[in-house]
Amino acid sequence: MTSTADGQIVVSGLTKHYGRVRAVDDLSFTVQPGRVTGFLGPNGAGKTTTLRMVLNLVTPTSGAATISGQRYADLADPIRHVGAILEASSAHKGRSGRNHLRIQCAAAGLPLTRADEMLELVGLTPAAKRKFRGYSLGMRQRLGIASAMLGNPSALILDEPANGLDPEGIRWMRDLLRHFASEGRTVLVSSHLLGEMEQLADDVVIIASGKLVAQGAVDDVVKGMSTSEQVRVRTPDADKLVAALGPDAKFSKDNGVLMLSGVSAPEVGAAALRAGVELHELVAERRDLEDVFLELTAGKAAIR
Amino acid sequence: MRLIRSELMKIRTTNVWWIFALSILAFNVLMLLIWTFGYTGDRLRSAKMPMEQMLPPASEVPPEEYERMRQEILASRDIDKILIDGATQIYTSGQFFILLFIMLLGAILMTNEFFHQTATTTFLTTPQRTKVILAKFAAIGFFSVIIWAVTTAVSVGGGAAYLASQGYGAQLGEWQVQRPILMNLLAFVLWGILGVGLGVLLRSQIAAVVVGAVAYVIGSQAVQIAAFLVYEYLIKKDWVIQAMVGWPSVASQVMISPDAFMGAGIVAAPKWWVGLLVLIGYGLFFGVIGTLITRKRDIT
Ligand SMILES: Nc1ncnc2c1ncn2[C@@H]1O[C@H](COP(=O)(O)OP(=O)(O)OP(=O)(O)O)[C@@H](O)[C@H]1O
Ligand SMILES: [Mg+2]
Repeated sequence: MTSTADGQIVVSGLTKHYGRVRAVDDLSFTVQPGRVTGFLGPNGAGKTTTLRMVLNLVTPTSGAATISGQRYADLADPIRHVGAILEASSAHKGRSGRNHLRIQCAAAGLPLTRADEMLELVGLTPAAKRKFRGYSLGMRQRLGIASAMLGNPSALILDEPANGLDPEGIRWMRDLLRHFASEGRTVLVSSHLLGEMEQLADDVVIIASGKLVAQGAVDDVVKGMSTSEQVRVRTPDADKLVAALGPDAKFSKDNGVLMLSGVSAPEVGAAALRAGVELHELVAERRDLEDVFLELTAGKAAIR
Repeated sequence: MRLIRSELMKIRTTNVWWIFALSILAFNVLMLLIWTFGYTGDRLRSAKMPMEQMLPPASEVPPEEYERMRQEILASRDIDKILIDGATQIYTSGQFFILLFIMLLGAILMTNEFFHQTATTTFLTTPQRTKVILAKFAAIGFFSVIIWAVTTAVSVGGGAAYLASQGYGAQLGEWQVQRPILMNLLAFVLWGILGVGLGVLLRSQIAAVVVGAVAYVIGSQAVQIAAFLVYEYLIKKDWVIQAMVGWPSVASQVMISPDAFMGAGIVAAPKWWVGLLVLIGYGLFFGVIGTLITRKRDIT
């Protein structure tokens, strides 16, 4: 195992057709170890399909994905390398959470005591011997995390893990994933909670309609938008100010408020001074991940 | 090996298995009572009745008819034959239902993965899907061996005690008695494998259980009726009746006791190994097709 590629996830040219639907369309990106990577996209964008292809559960129409340089199916005892939580994954309703984990331990050649350790880690010890049927949504999600961590993997792949967690649970999960990444491991997590992602993720991969729209560090992606920063101005003389700013500035007028993009707040201030335009308000509005996301995926969000 | 262990844990960690185990034991004991006190007991009792009581007065029937009846009764009083026939049935008590339960257990072991959405976890842990299915075959086979050991112990223990109480030996030295007991083992294992194969082919739990049970319980009757109709009205050839062995439940019947073949009165029953080959054929067919499908299938 090459230490440099350990835990790195590489997706190259991944494509999946379901009949005429191109669920994933020639998608390529990489996920680095030691960082939390958010995997974002509107409903039906192809996130779940992509993650399932990475994990060898869905056969790609073309393309491939590797983890630490190997295809998932070629990893020896894959759960020792990759832990996963996926939608539409569950446990037998009539089986206890503990036995659910022990069965996996047995299959992967891990000591059965590992099940109890993981139950302790996710705080499920009191419910360990209860049947899965009686677990709440949050408890099920925690069991999923325990299951993902069983093999002490160097990469985690999670599909909407925050689903059903209470606020405390969400914070707990965030801390867990951050800690996991800080140990130099890889975390790839899909989510719709953009505010949460902005706090959690170092990098993002944004897809829409099965295609890549943006990839990179959260800050870079947000800044990289041409309209990443907007300047809000109130002035009685909007036309004169726009003329003074020159052709680079894009603007829109709304209810006496002038929104400018493509220029920074100091540039606007300087231009106003030069032109002798009176300003009542000058605010630089930093856009957040949600704005960028909505803008990037606008028009492509339609469910196919 | 650890995959088999994991599959055995899957069986053991839900309530299903002991519900099945209890049902199997219940049928085992019930059929044991019927085959001992009912079947064998009746035949032994009538064998000991004075001859005159069983025949109509000689004056009432024509002499040749009287002689025929006398011969028939004499034949049915062959104690050795009664004991061997009886022991054969007694030592495989409950076979019909046990096979059904084992098949259903096999089917459920497979369809549970989809019904309870555990397939994701299973195939994440072991992406080599063929291995998973082989482990399921092995696990159900192992389970079948245990069921065979327990039910055979009950049948042989109870049966031998009954025979001893009637003043007879256990008949276990006879190959004619040993063979069905051993064939029963083979049948248990093969039907478990058939069940897993059925579960792979019909991913839906309900479909697999219903199709399996119906095909097993009603299927052989339907096949029998069809074969006899064809024989009567279309093709009056022996092979039409003998071809019934192509149906799995008939095949296992033939494998265990060819005498019980439903067409035995009309045509020669197929050899026991024909039944064995047919069952193995089904096991292989279901297993291979099921494995190929599972390898291709998207788990979503
Ligand atoms: N098994 C399947 N058969 C047919 N079409 C499918 C199947 N699975 C997914 N699709 C289609 O593929 C597309 C991508 O679905 P996918 O579940 O990957 O989206 P997603 O990004 O995970 O969406 P969400 O945010 O709602 O979870 C959708 O248009 C969906 O209808
Ligand atoms: Mg999804």
